[in-house]
Amino acid sequence: MKKRLLILTIVLVILPLMASGQPATDDLVSSCVLAAGENTTYLKDFRVQLPKASQDAAVPVYKANMYLMKNMKYRFCVCDSPESGGELFITIYDQGKEIISSYNSSSARKYSSVDFICNKTGLYTLWYSFIGGEQGSGVGVVCMIR
Amino acid sequence: MTGKIIKIATVILLMSFCSCRNSSVRQGGLTFPVADSVPAAEAEKLSEEAVADIVQNIASPVEIAAILQSMQIPFSAGYLASTQEAEKLTTNFRKAVMLGIYGADLGYLNIYGKTGNSVDVLSAIKRLADGLRVGQFFDFETLKRLSASKSNLDSLLFLSVNSYNQIDNYLRDNDRGSISALMITGVWIEGQYLATQVALSHDDEILRDRIGEQKIILGDLLMLLRPYRASSEEYGSLYDMMEQIRAKYAGVKVSYKLAEPETREDKEGRLVMVQNEESIVEMTDDQLAEIAALSKEVRNKLISGN
Repeated sequence: MKKRLLILTIVLVILPLMASGQPATDDLVSSCVLAAGENTTYLKDFRVQLPKASQDAAVPVYKANMYLMKNMKYRFCVCDSPESGGELFITIYDQGKEIISSYNSSSARKYSSVDFICNKTGLYTLWYSFIGGEQGSGVGVVCMIR
Repeated sequence: MTGKIIKIATVILLMSFCSCRNSSVRQGGLTFPVADSVPAAEAEKLSEEAVADIVQNIASPVEIAAILQSMQIPFSAGYLASTQEAEKLTTNFRKAVMLGIYGADLGYLNIYGKTGNSVDVLSAIKRLADGLRVGQFFDFETLKRLSASKSNLDSLLFLSVNSYNQIDNYLRDNDRGSISALMITGVWIEGQYLATQVALSHDDEILRDRIGEQKIILGDLLMLLRPYRASSEEYGSLYDMMEQIRAKYAGVKVSYKLAEPETREDKEGRLVMVQNEESIVEMTDDQLAEIAALSKEVRNKLISGN
C-alpha cells in the first residue's frame, strides 16, 4: 500500500513539477537576441531544423510569412546551434521577389544579420535554409531597431 | 504484484512522455517545422488557409508603443484597460481576448519604462494565462523581479514578448487556434485603440500611415477569425464588429510607388538594405475619426463584455 502511494505521489506531484520547472526560453534564442545588439527590441524567433538536401532535389527551406511595417527598421539575425552541420541563412521575399539575403552565393559571403529599412507595409516571406543544403539547426530572430 | 508494478511503470512512462510532448515549445528547444522544398523560382502563392496558419506579426504588442515613444508622446495610464476586469472573466473567449489586450498594455508600459506600474497588469495576465492553461509560458517571478528595475528593460521586453510568442505557437500547435486568434485580436484592437486615440490629438504622418495600413492587415486578421465565427454567439459578434471596422476602411487608399532598393554594408560589417519602394496611405480626417470611434467602441465592448 505504501509503495502504491509513493508511486502515485511521483506520478501526480513530482512529474508535473519537473515539467513545469523547465525554463521558458532556450539559450540559443537568448544568445541570438543578445547578438542583435543593444539598440534592438525582440519581436519574433523561428526555430529551424532541416535535413540535408537530397540529390537533384530542391534545398529544404523553412518559410514564415511576416508583416513588416513602413518606417520601421528590422534586424534579422541567424544563429546556428552548436551541433548544427550547416550554416543558417535568411532570404527575404516580397511577393515572390528576393529582396535581401544574408548569404551571397557568388561571393560565398555570409552575414550573421541583415538590417532592413522598410518603406512598404506588407506581407513578406522569410526563407531559412542552410548553405549548400546541409543538414542543420538554428534560430532566426527578428528585432526592431530603435 | 509484478503485473501491477509493470502497469504502474507503463503509466509513469506514458505520463512522462506526454508531459514532454511539448517540451520543445516550453523549453524552447528546437521544434521540427515541416521541411518545405520549393523551387526558388516559384512565386509565393499561398492559399487563404495557409496564410491564416503561418502569418506572423499580425499584431505586435510593442511596435505601436515604440512608434508613440519615438514621437515623444507622453505616457498616459488612461489608455490602459482596467485590470479589475480580469477577476470577473469566466469564459475562455473573454480570457483570451483580454490576455491579448493586457499583452499590448504590458508592451506599452515596458516600452515607456513604466515597469513599476506593470505589476498589476502582470498579475492580471497570470490569472488569465493560468485560466487558459498557458501559464507555464510566463515566468512571472522573473518578470516581476525584472519590473522592479528599469535597468532590465531589454530583458523584460524580451521575456514578455517571447512568452506571448510561445503561447501563440503552443495554441496553434495544439489545435487551439480559436484561442490564439482571439489573443491576437486582443493585441491588435488595443494597439489600434492606442494608435487612433493618440492620432486624434497628435497629427503625425507616421502614425496616420500606421493606422491606414491596418486596412492591409485586417483582411488576414478576419481570415484568422473566420473559421470560428459560427462556434459561438460571442465569436460571431466579434467577427461582425471586426467586419464593421474593415468597412470603415473602405475609402482608405493604399497605393505603391516603385523604386529600386539600395544595399550597403555598415561600419560594423552588417548588410543593410534600404527599401525605396513605398506604400502610400491616403486617409481623410473624417475617415480617421470614424475608424478611431469604432475602434474605441469595439475595444470597450470587448473589455466590458457587453
